[in-house]
Amino acid sequence: MKNSGSVFNIQKYSVHDGPGIRTVVFLKGCPLRCRWCSNPESQKPQPQLAYNRNKCLTLEHCVRCLEVCTAGAIKSGEGNRVQIDRETCSECLLCTKACPPLALNPYGETMTVDQVIRKVEEDSAFYSRSGGGMTLGGGEPLHQPEFAIDLLREARRRRLNTAMETCGFCRWEDLQTAAGYLQTLLYDIKSMDAEKHKAFTGVSNELILENLNRVREALPKLSILVRTPIVPGFNDSVEDVRAILQHIQGLPNVRFEALDYHRMGKPKYEYLGLEFPMGDQMLEAERIKQIRALIRSEFPHLCAPSSTEKGQSRKSAAGRQT
Amino acid sequence: MECCDVLSPQEERLKEEMLGRGAKFEKGRERVFSILKGFQMQRPRIDIERAKYFTESMRQTEGQHLTLRWAKALKNIAEKMTVYIDDHQLIVGRSGQPGRYGILYPELDGDFLDMAVQQLSTRTQSPFDIAAKDAQVVIDEIAPYWKGKTFHEALAVALPEETARYTFNPEDPLMSRFIVNETSSFRSSLQWVHDYEKALKKGFKRLRSEAEERLQGLDPFSPVDNVEKKPFLEAIITLCDAIVIWAKRHSRLAAEMAVTENNPRRKAELLEIARICDKVPEQPAETFHEAMQSQWFVQMFSRIEQKTGTIISNGRMDQYLYPYFKKDVEEGRITEERVIELMECMWVAMAQFLDLYISPAGGAINEGYAHWEAVTIGGQTKNGYDATNELSYLFLQSKREFPTHYPDLAARVHTRSPERYLAEIAETIKEGSGFPKLINDEEIVPLLLSKGATFEEALDYAVSGCAEARMPNRDTYTSGCAYINFAAALEMTLYSGKMKKYGDEQIGMQTGDPRSFQTWEEFYNAYLAHQTDYIKQAFIQQHHIIRLRAQHFAVPLGSALHDLCMESCLDLHQPKIPGGIDMGYFEFIGYGTVVDSLSAIKKLVFEEKKLTMSELLYALQNNFEGKEDVRQLLMNVPCYGNNDPYADSIGKALDRAALEFTHKYSKELGVHLDLRLVPFTSHVPFGKVVSATPNGRKAWTPLSDGSSASQGSDKNGPTAVLLSNFTTKNLDYRERAARLLNIKFTPKCVAGEEGTDKLVSFIRTWCDLKLWHVQFNIINKQTLISAQKNPEKYRGLIVRIAGYSAYFVDLSPDLQNDLIARTGHDQL
Repeated sequence: MKNSGSVFNIQKYSVHDGPGIRTVVFLKGCPLRCRWCSNPESQKPQPQLAYNRNKCLTLEHCVRCLEVCTAGAIKSGEGNRVQIDRETCSECLLCTKACPPLALNPYGETMTVDQVIRKVEEDSAFYSRSGGGMTLGGGEPLHQPEFAIDLLREARRRRLNTAMETCGFCRWEDLQTAAGYLQTLLYDIKSMDAEKHKAFTGVSNELILENLNRVREALPKLSILVRTPIVPGFNDSVEDVRAILQHIQGLPNVRFEALDYHRMGKPKYEYLGLEFPMGDQMLEAERIKQIRALIRSEFPHLCAPSSTEKGQSRKSAAGRQT
Repeated sequence: MECCDVLSPQEERLKEEMLGRGAKFEKGRERVFSILKGFQMQRPRIDIERAKYFTESMRQTEGQHLTLRWAKALKNIAEKMTVYIDDHQLIVGRSGQPGRYGILYPELDGDFLDMAVQQLSTRTQSPFDIAAKDAQVVIDEIAPYWKGKTFHEALAVALPEETARYTFNPEDPLMSRFIVNETSSFRSSLQWVHDYEKALKKGFKRLRSEAEERLQGLDPFSPVDNVEKKPFLEAIITLCDAIVIWAKRHSRLAAEMAVTENNPRRKAELLEIARICDKVPEQPAETFHEAMQSQWFVQMFSRIEQKTGTIISNGRMDQYLYPYFKKDVEEGRITEERVIELMECMWVAMAQFLDLYISPAGGAINEGYAHWEAVTIGGQTKNGYDATNELSYLFLQSKREFPTHYPDLAARVHTRSPERYLAEIAETIKEGSGFPKLINDEEIVPLLLSKGATFEEALDYAVSGCAEARMPNRDTYTSGCAYINFAAALEMTLYSGKMKKYGDEQIGMQTGDPRSFQTWEEFYNAYLAHQTDYIKQAFIQQHHIIRLRAQHFAVPLGSALHDLCMESCLDLHQPKIPGGIDMGYFEFIGYGTVVDSLSAIKKLVFEEKKLTMSELLYALQNNFEGKEDVRQLLMNVPCYGNNDPYADSIGKALDRAALEFTHKYSKELGVHLDLRLVPFTSHVPFGKVVSATPNGRKAWTPLSDGSSASQGSDKNGPTAVLLSNFTTKNLDYRERAARLLNIKFTPKCVAGEEGTDKLVSFIRTWCDLKLWHVQFNIINKQTLISAQKNPEKYRGLIVRIAGYSAYFVDLSPDLQNDLIARTGHDQL
């Protein structure tokens, strides 16, 4: 039993990652390097130093970080705000404990299974009413397979509803074991084009597609939601998405959801001293429209229930006259 | 799920209005929109008739039984006050001139009304206009009579010097200290709910004949019967006459107007109004329209009778109106559209009557023209079944479709509330205006039982004012209660009984220089000594208030509708009414501010020793000028509202200390003075006297409100807010009153049916946790813009971004702009 692992966030009241009101446990470490990744802090397994210069009080007013930094990695930068010399920084993270406004902040900490589950169980009263529970996310949860599986096993033992988000790039045995403790699997398929997949994520899609087939076969009753981030310049065409939908349409008990690309992770690249590979690229509204039309018209049975349609039926239930 | 975002109904409406298609929302509502547009942009005016005729009568009845004097004054008003019938209106009865208006209660503030009327039109908060000749009447006729006779003058004289120091400015008792404030002198009573059902079912003719029978049955030799009961019953008879006279004057006016009315449709309406006003409230109502009109006469006459805190509440409208609705529907007399139209005629009438506060303290506590005439829907029946009915849904529908702030809709919720009810509540909340507020049967019913109510009474409670619960025939307590500024107690702990605002004056106890404290326990005990001292002062105030109130105020109408008052022939303002359960409260203002401040001191000064007490005091005295690092340290300790046991255990201990005090001493007062965390807007003026606090709050800025977390310090999402609220309560004590809780969501967090479902489960859990109250704010683009400008105030604001949620303030400025733009895009 792997008693502890690396966690970078535990997000309460998550309502978009599985049924009901959930708590998402984000495990740190990922085998992929997707260019659009919105959680760059999730990629490396080790704890990392994040620095938000907007929050820095300037060295004129506060030198608490300077006083604790033994590596000499903290310098004066623009506007007399702190600047981190990433080359010399040892990521000892002492400065994060000294920084009053939390401009210096650690990404990631080691937590035990018990600590995580206790945190998740704080919201039990909400799960019982909403059908929610714990969702493992990341990073890639199965990048820490023993920890992830232990978390799921313990969650099930405590009768928590479980879900897991995965990129599918993992050992089959790990996925198989983890899936045995799952009630919902959120499975990313990014592209059917192996070349493109490799170019944009760093790995080929073969193992991912194979794992999807195997998990479907091994656990036919497990509810699977295939999710595809629609990324500009990568898979934002009707053809790309159709190829994915054609691939999964024969699989039983599988639904599909398209996620719009966004740039909300961009500041976190800056905090980590990294460049955002996508730059200022944005999704074209017209393309998204076409893709949504495609899903609705050609693959309605795969459509995760759309909030628009159901929203309207609720309206009539409410007797609204519009 | 992902896929297209949905516009909230409110956004749809905005969009349509922007596109110049707003008229379609007025379709079918032409009548109420015409009324609404007639006064919407108007500056409120003061009508002096009530004050004039009240004073005129009181002059002539000196020395008589107070309830009888009051009834005679009401009759004088009913006979002489101008009556109006507004164009288009179906529900008639005003206590003042057309348009938005306020009326005067010289029994409260008559002694300084002459000064006040000259300043009201120029004051910045909630100004009112008054005609010059009316102002002259106030100065010449009204104010002179009341000098030396008002309640607050008597109270100022009665309070012992020590208590007065916490209450008023020693030089000017009209100016509150905002430390331990009394609120009994700027309103005649706390919020209240009448037993409207009695008025509708019996009619005042029968109430009158019952009083007459009682009168006949009195013991002619008994001194008590002669001196107390006889004049009380005469007062009830006079009151019954008064309200009927007033109603029938409306009937005559409507009939007269019908004669000259050219529009045949309006002519018919006027004739119908004439018929109804001739019948109710004298006779029992028989149709829905008659019941609405009868109810309106009662609540309007009640407003004339006295200034009830937050304005008289409306009770369980979906319950007592239901038989009339059902009968009309079954007999094909009414459509749902007409029911909604009649409701909305009442809402626009309510919107025109403003709760005018003359005194500076009253005005500050109820800033703006806010009033809360609560309408209760849902909940359980007297015998414990779910009470939701078709009418409950029509109230919700009206709230969604007709954009006024009135009435203050309160939905009772219990564990078996039907799914549709909660879903429609969620849909209504998603409109974004914060209605309805939710009140929890699972908390309130057991508390009422524990205080001596029967199941039947407790299950039938009505929401009153902003978050209170009343049992109209069992509750008897009506004094305004103390608002206590515990952030000031914290400041006094830092400065040994002094406050920066009041300079060198030694107001509170000398608890010593905190720099000499060696341990956290020493500091905490010093704070607790102040907290306890404040509550003591509040209870001393209340003791005087309870005694004095009965000498100054009377409510013949309120008493006529109250079983216990009629049984004992005692006015509702009397301190002790046999069989009554007296429920009052004392208000804990600045709960989050105090808890977070104590948490910061405990952690940073005494445990981690990152700060010395001297450094802390220096930073506070300089309002963090040049000490932003200290401020940031203080702000990043465990705070209330995050389900963090470190802060919540402090909150629970403070709550408990307050409960223990009242558990021990409220018996002496004969009143349940329960701990309440409900602020109105008072956390703003109370903040104005408190200098910088150790939670990083700057001097003179608002305190935390109600039982909500300090502004922006709830960083763990809404589930943690509920759980903190839950864990800081002491469930083994019954001495708790309302805890008000505000929660903010962005529209996208609750978008679509999935959003509705999740909001419903959130509400269900709130109900399971037995929290008293919750109200939601669904925040819009404008708020995001404000959040960008003042990020500190919005640290807890969660925004929904495609696929996940984030804290808005954590986003970079350009992404915030992106999001603001996207929200705008959604609206268009």
